Amino acid sequence: MADLQKEFNSYTKDLNKASKDENIKKAITRAVKSYRETTAETLTRFPHTPAMAEEVREIKTKSIANNSELLKQAMESVERNKGKAFYAKDKQEALEMTAKIIGVGKTIVKGKSMLGEELAIREYLEEKGNEVWETDLGEFILQLNHEKPMHILSPSIHVPREQVAELFTKFFKKEVPPDIAQEVAVVREFLREKYFTADVGISGANVVAADTGAMVIIENEGNVRLSTGAPPVHIVLVGIEKIVPTFQDAMKVAEVTWRYAQYGVPGYVNIISGPSKTGDIEKVTTYGAHGPKEFYVIFVDNGRSDMAKEEEFSEALNCLRCGGCMYECPVFQVTAGHFGHVYMSGIGAVWTAFVAGGLEKAAPLVFTCLRCGRCVERCPMKINVPSMIQKLREQVVDG
Amino acid sequence: MMVAEIKLPPVLEIIRGNIVKHGNPLAMKGTEVAAWAKELKLPERGDLLFYTGGEYQLLPFIDSLVSTMTLMDQGSKVFSLMMGARNIINKTGINAEKLYASVLAKDRERFNSISYKAAIILQKLGYDLCYAGKKELYSGALLSELGFSEDMKSYAVKVAEVLKQSGAKTIVCLSPHAAEVFKFVYPKLIKDFPFEIKTFVELVWDKRHMLPAIKSSETVVIHDSCRLARELAIDEELRDILQSMGVPFREARCNRKWTTCCGGPNKLLFPDISHTIAARRVEELEETGADLILTSCPYCLSALQGGQAKDKDKDNKIKIEDLIEFLYRGFEA
Ligand code: SF4
Repeated sequence: MADLQKEFNSYTKDLNKASKDENIKKAITRAVKSYRETTAETLTRFPHTPAMAEEVREIKTKSIANNSELLKQAMESVERNKGKAFYAKDKQEALEMTAKIIGVGKTIVKGKSMLGEELAIREYLEEKGNEVWETDLGEFILQLNHEKPMHILSPSIHVPREQVAELFTKFFKKEVPPDIAQEVAVVREFLREKYFTADVGISGANVVAADTGAMVIIENEGNVRLSTGAPPVHIVLVGIEKIVPTFQDAMKVAEVTWRYAQYGVPGYVNIISGPSKTGDIEKVTTYGAHGPKEFYVIFVDNGRSDMAKEEEFSEALNCLRCGGCMYECPVFQVTAGHFGHVYMSGIGAVWTAFVAGGLEKAAPLVFTCLRCGRCVERCPMKINVPSMIQKLREQVVDG
Repeated sequence: MMVAEIKLPPVLEIIRGNIVKHGNPLAMKGTEVAAWAKELKLPERGDLLFYTGGEYQLLPFIDSLVSTMTLMDQGSKVFSLMMGARNIINKTGINAEKLYASVLAKDRERFNSISYKAAIILQKLGYDLCYAGKKELYSGALLSELGFSEDMKSYAVKVAEVLKQSGAKTIVCLSPHAAEVFKFVYPKLIKDFPFEIKTFVELVWDKRHMLPAIKSSETVVIHDSCRLARELAIDEELRDILQSMGVPFREARCNRKWTTCCGGPNKLLFPDISHTIAARRVEELEETGADLILTSCPYCLSALQGGQAKDKDKDNKIKIEDLIEFLYRGFEA
């Protein structure tokens, strides 16, 4: 029997410590303010967004209900594009499939992905004897610092430049001053070499179009372009809930995602549907022109289809991972990602329960949630997290 | 989903056990909870049932329970001995006498009098109230919120029984939590639950033309309670009430349906975090430069005060009151 009291005690200590951490306080206060300002501004600039969010909500809900059909179609599309598509029913399968494609002794460059966190893919591949580099700047900082992300979009939200400088000075074995531009520059230089020598690039995807097999990946840094474009092999790990019927649907999902994810207008939107190819010499299609020669997509279930079956929770699969709710969450505002287990805050508690540790890991989160409901006001998908939290409490209580 | 058998933290069991066995979260006696109404001699039957749920009356005791817990590591042996064993709880409830002793008389009086003041205000506005007195039972909102839905099913039957004895058509709730659970949960649990559910705020709003003008030099800021603003969609009403009394008020950065939670809901399990959240909310409200925070929920009132108590060294602290207390002062003046 899991003694929840013990879990609570260590978790509570962690939460309390976080709530007294001045870095977290400063960083989150700044982040919340900037999130609210940017979002208000871009929603005014693009006033069609709420209506489009409404539409996306319908697209997602229908897609989840029709998931097995769409999965089949998406896999066929990927194969038609000369990629290889797989379905992993759980974490272990996903890890093994990925490792099998990669092998050992390889260098891997990786883009940011919550699914990656869920699978602990970096750790797994490293254990298998590979070298894995997080290429998102925030994730890179955390990798060096052996830390977990504190926000789904700004993972190192809590680490100020002084700490980054210290960390980099140690790692690069040369003096890096606490100057953000210089900090960015050293990582750029370091990773540039990795992109072009890596054997494999790994990424997630924000949304997948079943009709075309297109993976849509939103980013600002350009690291995803490089890690999915430069190495000879590209592996996409994506949750099955991300599939929508058409390319046009996918564009709508993407726009709503980035708008609520504070991108305003994102620097880059990558659309990848297959391996790189050319027919320029004698019209003979040859793969691996400039980009990857091999393209793999692993669709990961790991509890998602169970979630889809439960009427009270299936709506949680609509989550776009825009992170908006976290900025509005009073608990998150004082503790950051410490209010989480892989997935964070109220919606995270639901996800943790189904895909990242089960009810036992979710229980402390489930009881931390205030059920205040401000997340629902923010959420473009209007996911009713408080009601799900209440249902999860029932499950904890009734066993 | 992976389902493991999970042992709950003892405090949840205490609350659950007390509600189910004693009709309120702290195992207080019905006579204690109803003591405020002695002089009013309200009838037990009537059209409009005045419902306190004991929530304001119990507040100082909940705080006392929380501070007992904050002082003690919940995982420690002492704590388990004191609070833990389920059979002890089942036999005696949590020792209310001890909690009673640790609550300051002035706090006890203040919170007891809120229910009294609410009743007087409604009477002055022309409402005829009835009240179940010592038979009144707590709504069970916490059972439902904490996930004890099985207990809630049978408990709700008992509560509904008492409510029905009043013969009332309408129930006026002081706490938005009670209003919420009566409005949205009870109809699903009880076949025949024929009541119209109103909050204190709504009844006052309906008769706002009868409210006295308040000549006050204080500037007010409203703290919208989450339940009231989001679940029950009552926000403009509070502003209207102040306006009709000529009370100047300001708006916090996060107001109405964007209000920031007071932190109250996780106070029992995470008192430290809860206090920090409350303190942040008080800061938000203070930013407006107002002199007085008004809220309309017992848990908000208690949580915000707790958050404020945390930074002791501040002088010029902003005042925090329930709308009921504020209105009553207006009637008295
Ligand atoms: S729950 Fe809603 S607001 Fe939160 S990350 Fe998901 S889509 Fe965004």
